[in-house]
Amino acid sequence: MTNPDQKTYTFHVNGMHCRACVILVESELGDVSEISKARASLGDLSVEVTGEFGDKSQDHVANDLSEVLKPHGYTLSLEKQRHSAKWSDFKLAIPISAGFIIFFIILQKLGIVNLINTSNVGYGTAFIIGLIASVSTCMAVVGGLVLSMSANFAKEGDKVRPQILFHVGRLIAFLVLGGAIGALGSAFQLGATGAFILSLVVAIVLLVLGVNLLDVFPWAKRLQPTIPGFIGKRVHGLKNVNHTLTPFLVGVATFFLPCGFTQSMQIYTLSTGNFWTGALIMFTFALGTLPVLSLLSFSSLGIHKSAQSGVFFKTAGLVVIFFGIFNLINALVSAGIIPPIFSF
Amino acid sequence: MIYAGGVNGGGVSVGNGDNVSIVDGKQIISINAKGGYFPRMTIAKAGIPTVIKMNTRGTFDCSAALTIPNLSYRKVLPPSGETLIDVPPQQVGTSMRGLCGMGMYNFTVNFN
Repeated sequence: MTNPDQKTYTFHVNGMHCRACVILVESELGDVSEISKARASLGDLSVEVTGEFGDKSQDHVANDLSEVLKPHGYTLSLEKQRHSAKWSDFKLAIPISAGFIIFFIILQKLGIVNLINTSNVGYGTAFIIGLIASVSTCMAVVGGLVLSMSANFAKEGDKVRPQILFHVGRLIAFLVLGGAIGALGSAFQLGATGAFILSLVVAIVLLVLGVNLLDVFPWAKRLQPTIPGFIGKRVHGLKNVNHTLTPFLVGVATFFLPCGFTQSMQIYTLSTGNFWTGALIMFTFALGTLPVLSLLSFSSLGIHKSAQSGVFFKTAGLVVIFFGIFNLINALVSAGIIPPIFSF
Repeated sequence: MIYAGGVNGGGVSVGNGDNVSIVDGKQIISINAKGGYFPRMTIAKAGIPTVIKMNTRGTFDCSAALTIPNLSYRKVLPPSGETLIDVPPQQVGTSMRGLCGMGMYNFTVNFN
């Protein structure tokens, strides 16, 4: 059945970053009464809509539909907005990220880990060990993940909620899993292969997210890890799922990430033999890591002008890429594949 | 004395042999783990049964998560105490490396 009033227009979608966004754009536009069909494509960042628009001009339709998508951070336009890499942002981003990386290396050289002089771990000590862990090499793993995740969410306009959910997930996991270790008297530990694969995965995720933050290679967006489209199509409010469940689960997963401090706290915890002691020790340890990790996850809140945001995302991208390379090298070194390169 | 090598953060330390002793025909190599491994380099005798004794004292950092790829050894050391690792007699010229879980701290034992 063909309806003579049906018209098909193609618009460019600005701000469509991920596969989840594609489904969101399609489902939001599909809910508009005039539209009978909407198909979005991440490849050329466009959406094709078919519907009865009366005698409205194409420009008018683009404006009307932009209003529908605006709450989600997308706009429609007739002309494709040219992707500009804004290489000039690197003039500031390179020195800032280099400064941060040098600061990180100096911190490791200082031997801050030797500040811990006790072998009896009370809650106060657990908190201090957490504080120290958060500026140790563990920052390259957990901190890198926090920074890349929060910067990527901030890019989609979500600066606060996913970050809070990450920290809630992390604190709950340390409380519950710490208690479990204490009660069971055995810790979850990966074998050599498992640990190698996990570090490799972390390194690759960091590299992909870091390159994505640089925003110079548009193709990198397609590599971004997200919930696969076929699951998303069945879940209503997909962006919400991606922005709530994902950060929460990443927070939970940090309990298992390769970090010497977390591992040795777990070993200590299993010697307590008690659910609540174990739970509270791991919880206060995680609480100790909170100040520095919050600083990383809410750093994007400091951006008010869009001129700064380009520099911020590129700086974050460079730091995250450094952490990715650092993790990659460390994974290869600890598997005995290459000789040590970083040696603190 | 166990901590003669000093548990310190910076500096490269080369064992002067104080950390290697032979007791009842067994070679004992003592290595301190905290904020890295000390001494970083140890010269030991090849061809005799050997034990590496890892000393931890308030060690919560990466150096507690020890791996020795040559031995397929992988363990998180207790925060404080001694951990003994049996090493079968090694051939002359063997270089054995121990690393922390993330790879940025390491020590080497050369068997001559």
